[in-house]
Amino acid sequence: MIAFSNVSLIYPHSTKTILEDLSCEIAEGEMVLVMGETGSGKSSLLRLINGLVPHHTGGILAGDISVNGISTRSVKPGALAHLVGIVGQNPISGFVTDIVEEELAFGMEALNVPPETMRKRVEEVLDLLSLNSVRNRSISTLSGGEQQRVAIGAALVMHPRVLVLDEPTSALDPIAAEEVLSVLHRLVHDLSVTVIIAEHRLERVIQFVDRIIYIEGDGSTAIGSAEEILKNAELVPPIVRLARVLNLSEIGTSVRDVRRLTEDIRGREFLSEPTLPVERKPAINISHISISYEGHIALKTATATIGAGEIVAVMGRNGAGKSSLLHSIVGLLSPHSGNVLVNGIDPQTLQGAARRRAIGYVPQEPSDLLFKQSVEAECAQADHDNEIAPGSTFSLLNRLVPNIALSTHPHDLSEGQRLALVLSIVLSGNPEILILDEPTRGLDYRAKSLFIKALQEFASTFNRPVVIATHDVELVAELADRVLFLAEGEIVADGSTLDVLLSSPAFAPQVSKVMSPKPWLTVADVVNSLSSL
Amino acid sequence: MKRPLHPLTLWLWAILLAIGVVAADSASVALVVVGAAAIIVWVRADGSAWNKSFALALRVGALILVIRTVVGILIGVPIPGTTLFRIPILDLPSWMPGIRIGGAVTLERLSSSIHEGIIIATLLALFGAATSLTSPHKLLRVMPYFIYEIGITLVIAASLLPQIASSLRRIRTAQKLRGIELRGIRSLALPLLEESLTRSLQLAASMDSRGYGVSRKRSRYRPIRWKSEDSLVIALTAGLSIAMMISAG
Repeated sequence: MIAFSNVSLIYPHSTKTILEDLSCEIAEGEMVLVMGETGSGKSSLLRLINGLVPHHTGGILAGDISVNGISTRSVKPGALAHLVGIVGQNPISGFVTDIVEEELAFGMEALNVPPETMRKRVEEVLDLLSLNSVRNRSISTLSGGEQQRVAIGAALVMHPRVLVLDEPTSALDPIAAEEVLSVLHRLVHDLSVTVIIAEHRLERVIQFVDRIIYIEGDGSTAIGSAEEILKNAELVPPIVRLARVLNLSEIGTSVRDVRRLTEDIRGREFLSEPTLPVERKPAINISHISISYEGHIALKTATATIGAGEIVAVMGRNGAGKSSLLHSIVGLLSPHSGNVLVNGIDPQTLQGAARRRAIGYVPQEPSDLLFKQSVEAECAQADHDNEIAPGSTFSLLNRLVPNIALSTHPHDLSEGQRLALVLSIVLSGNPEILILDEPTRGLDYRAKSLFIKALQEFASTFNRPVVIATHDVELVAELADRVLFLAEGEIVADGSTLDVLLSSPAFAPQVSKVMSPKPWLTVADVVNSLSSL
Repeated sequence: MKRPLHPLTLWLWAILLAIGVVAADSASVALVVVGAAAIIVWVRADGSAWNKSFALALRVGALILVIRTVVGILIGVPIPGTTLFRIPILDLPSWMPGIRIGGAVTLERLSSSIHEGIIIATLLALFGAATSLTSPHKLLRVMPYFIYEIGITLVIAASLLPQIASSLRRIRTAQKLRGIELRGIRSLALPLLEESLTRSLQLAASMDSRGYGVSRKRSRYRPIRWKSEDSLVIALTAGLSIAMMISAG
């Protein structure tokens, strides 16, 4: 279906080769995962398939890509619209119209498809993606998961033979992600659509894919079955790390496979040491806060106390009230009833330097905080603001991610580097508490583990609390001491990470699914228990 | 669900009422029309982003009314009548004859300024009502083919505006939370500009890869037809408008 022959790609004004001499063929009905570090060129590879690269972005392309026998060199992306459906990283910025139905019809209108055919296909897609209930809604009012499905639907109505998706689950909660992936799985198996997908959270997709294209970052690529590639890869999901530390004979990609290989380990008896509850000095007091806006209840009498040195994860489905809770802790929203105290101070009264010292906040889009022309200028600004020795912020950044050039423009950094920069700017104010809203979108495993280390260090050395809202269960398993689980604006569960994550299968990390009923969440937990034997 | 009217109907409705208001030239009639429009907007609102344009138009209208009144008090030809109060007359150079700033403020002068302000604000409110009831997206769908092509470009420009507004809000709150209160326009403009540019490029790429502009002809997913309700609404509004003209004499 798709043939890459000796493809090399390099962008102008860049010394880095994105791809070098890639040759492979992807058959009809195959599901292929593209993986690699952040900024390694996954998106470029995906956009080569319908010719957006280089027709739209520029760049020097050698070799040839053909889809169903049509070379992308000879035609513009639009001429492949009936063959290739592409869903970008950020669906909201690709929507052309404002109503769901019209968005679905847009591509067909452009190709002059007869109205009767259009009506039929739109109905089909609405059913397939369970979008019938929102068909007349304005797209901007939909939840993240619904928007993602509309974007996939808008590509599917064209009946493409190839579907290309760039991180389709990065903004979705585990349940919505599962829904999207099962739709893709069905498309591959029922309609023999070829699916190419890029994703960082391998634990979500790995069991569905037939082959992996691994982009090394220096231009070279490796192609093979999931087992072949993951055996030697550096970025691997927890399930593969587990297989490695346990020295299993083979590595499995699904929970079922690995469970079969680890029966003897689960069969053993382990002494479980009762963990003693730690006495913590309360740092953040949230008492009975309720928030509602536009007739919609965002928080219902939420109450929690977060202690010093505690790392708390706030979880829940899209729209459950996570951001509202975080925003009221940082003092952005004023609750209709109840109040929030951060170390005894009402966060809404904080301003300027006092705010920087009291609350460190990393927003959903970290780049919102950046406005200088270089990393150096950003760091200097932070040093100046917080009246610390020049260079302190940069040395903090260097500890998080080494080798960032001072002259780099913040927007040319990779996602991981940019998050590290924002984190070091926020930490340079030496805040009493640290709040992070969904910080790990688009981070690979390596960047994520650096990030986890930085947060744990902050919490333990200064004995200060960290609150983090996230959909990433593996991150929570590795990082958090405690989980607040929100549903429809209420805190429905508040307990240790172990208790909360084990109690719901949808939010359970991979290791715990494999090792159930043993109470282990991470590879490190398994190793510790085994070594204590 | 409310039965949708033809997009043109609502625009014609607004234009006819506007003609009536101008012809009647009466503040009380204008205020009644604004009230009626407000009720209709409230009843027919479908929750889309454009619904907010009526409230925006009202706010702009109120601002115009205030400015018109203030200007009416300060500048203008003296209209004889009951003097309300007096403000000192500003001495102007001799090359500015015929203009007087300050002086006696009469009831007649004040009421005529307010009257004019209300008429202008009403016209704005009617325009706002029409936009808030039919999104420009819908209006452009009923336009002839050659306008549609230009129109879709305008729609994209228009859909960027609400996006820019929401990005601006997001960036400002983020910066406020970093403890940056006063750091000038640069710190706002740069992230905003970058984001808008990225978004526009992404939108263009999305349209391109979905085959926009490939075929010379476009088909329509859901053709919009003129119905009897539309004729009825137009006939009634036209009657009302004529009645307003006659009442003005």
